[in-house]
Order: sequence, then structure tokens, then C-alpha cells
Amino acid sequence: MRLEKCWFCSSTVYPGHGIQFVRNDAKIFHFCRSKCHKNFKMKRNPRKVKWTKAYRRLHGKDMTQDSTFEFERKRNRPERYDRNLAENTLKAIKKIDKIRSDRASGHIKNRLKTGKVQRQKEARKQLELGIHLVKAPLALAQDSSLCLPKIKVNVSQTQTEENQPMEE
Amino acid sequence: MIQPQTHLNVADNSRARELMCIREAVPNTPLERSEVITAVIISTRKELKRDNGMIIRYDDNAAVVIDQEGNPKGTQIFGAIARELRQLNFTKIVSLAPEVL
Repeated sequence: MRLEKCWFCSSTVYPGHGIQFVRNDAKIFHFCRSKCHKNFKMKRNPRKVKWTKAYRRLHGKDMTQDSTFEFERKRNRPERYDRNLAENTLKAIKKIDKIRSDRASGHIKNRLKTGKVQRQKEARKQLELGIHLVKAPLALAQDSSLCLPKIKVNVSQTQTEENQPMEE
Repeated sequence: MIQPQTHLNVADNSRARELMCIREAVPNTPLERSEVITAVIISTRKELKRDNGMIIRYDDNAAVVIDQEGNPKGTQIFGAIARELRQLNFTKIVSLAPEVL
């Protein structure tokens, strides 16, 4: 049993899913579902189809280089079954998966950061320019409620250090 | 879906180029144009389903010319072959095949 990658969208194909197509030059194409298969039959290039991993990696939307990818290389030599090895591998898979997904989401967050800053800048500018749409300028000048009011608190000088209960 | 009247490509180096299926299991005669000969199908455009859940589809419908015992008439086979042939005892064909998928 082997978990293949879909040729079109790069998702994993589990056993019992998808179709394998053998071309006349004996090259095998794995597809995870009929959507990918049909796109292939339409001769679409996955690097141009926006929802595929190939497109996202090519256009820098997703993380491309990371040491966690080294663990997933294709190996053709079968390993002799060793219980300890199998157990450790299962634990490692979980951990590596978590690390990889954290790094990937970090990459995306970084990518979206500049956009957020830009949007806030623009919003601030727009507010400054368009404040007359929010409140009439005359009213703005006259109405003091738009500024933070200054609170005057009378502090009595005769406050002793008696244990007074806290006023809520 | 290979039916009577289906044209099949011949994937070996016997001098046939294309076959038309007429029916299953016809006895063999020497190879000539528009001769009735036996051939075994090695790949189909219609998907095959395997017991492990794998569905596999080839690019064309191809056949290999065989004689009565099931030995191929040619000496070379081109292209990939379905693994099902091994279970059906076409061992000579499977051994000649460049790739069994």
C-alpha cells in the first residue's frame, strides 16, 4: 500500500480512492478524484489552475522550502518491520506534521501582514479626509463630547488609613 | 469495453497492426491480412477495478496476437500491460512486457 500524490492537485490519494491513468509511454498519473481527472482530460496545466498546490507553490502563496519536507521523500526500498521503528515513526509523523503546518500557516500570516498594515493606513487616511461624512465640521468644533472629557475627582484631604471596605 | 467491431491496436511485433474484435476465443490460423486470429487484450480505455480498490485506465485498447496455447506470436511487446494477465496464466506475455502495471 502506498499513499500517492494526486498529479493535478497534489493531495494524498488513499487506497480505494481515485483513478490511475497509464499513458502509452507507461507514465502513471494518479488522481484523487474525478475533478482532477476531468481537468487533466481537458489538458489543463495544474500550474495555471488556482486551487492546486502546484499553482500556490509556484506563485509563492504556500511554503516551498522547509526541512520538514525532507521527511516525505519517496523511498523505494522496503524496510524490515521493526516494532520500535514503527512506533517511533508514528510519533514522529504526528510531530513533524504539526511543525510543518505551523510553519506553513506562519508563512501565510507573514504574507498577509503587509496587506493588513496597508489597509489600516488607508482606512485612517480615509477617515481623516472624510470625517465630514461622519459628523458635520461645525458640530465637530462645537460639540465637546467627541473628545475625551476631563474627569474632575474631589479627593478629600482627611482620608485616614482606616480599614474601609472597598467601594465597588 | 471491448465488443465485436472494436478496433484494437496490436502491441507486439507480429505483422498485424490493428485488429477488429469479432468474438471471444476463435481458433488460430496463420497470420494474413483479414485473417481470423486469436489475441489477448492487454490494456483498455475502460477502467479496471482491482480488489485493493485501485482503479486503473490505459490510453488505448491494445492486444497481443497469441496462438492456441496462449503464447504470443511476436517476440517483442510494446507498452505497459495489465497485471491481471499474470493471474490468467499468460506468463510468456508478462515476461516479455517492458512494464506490468
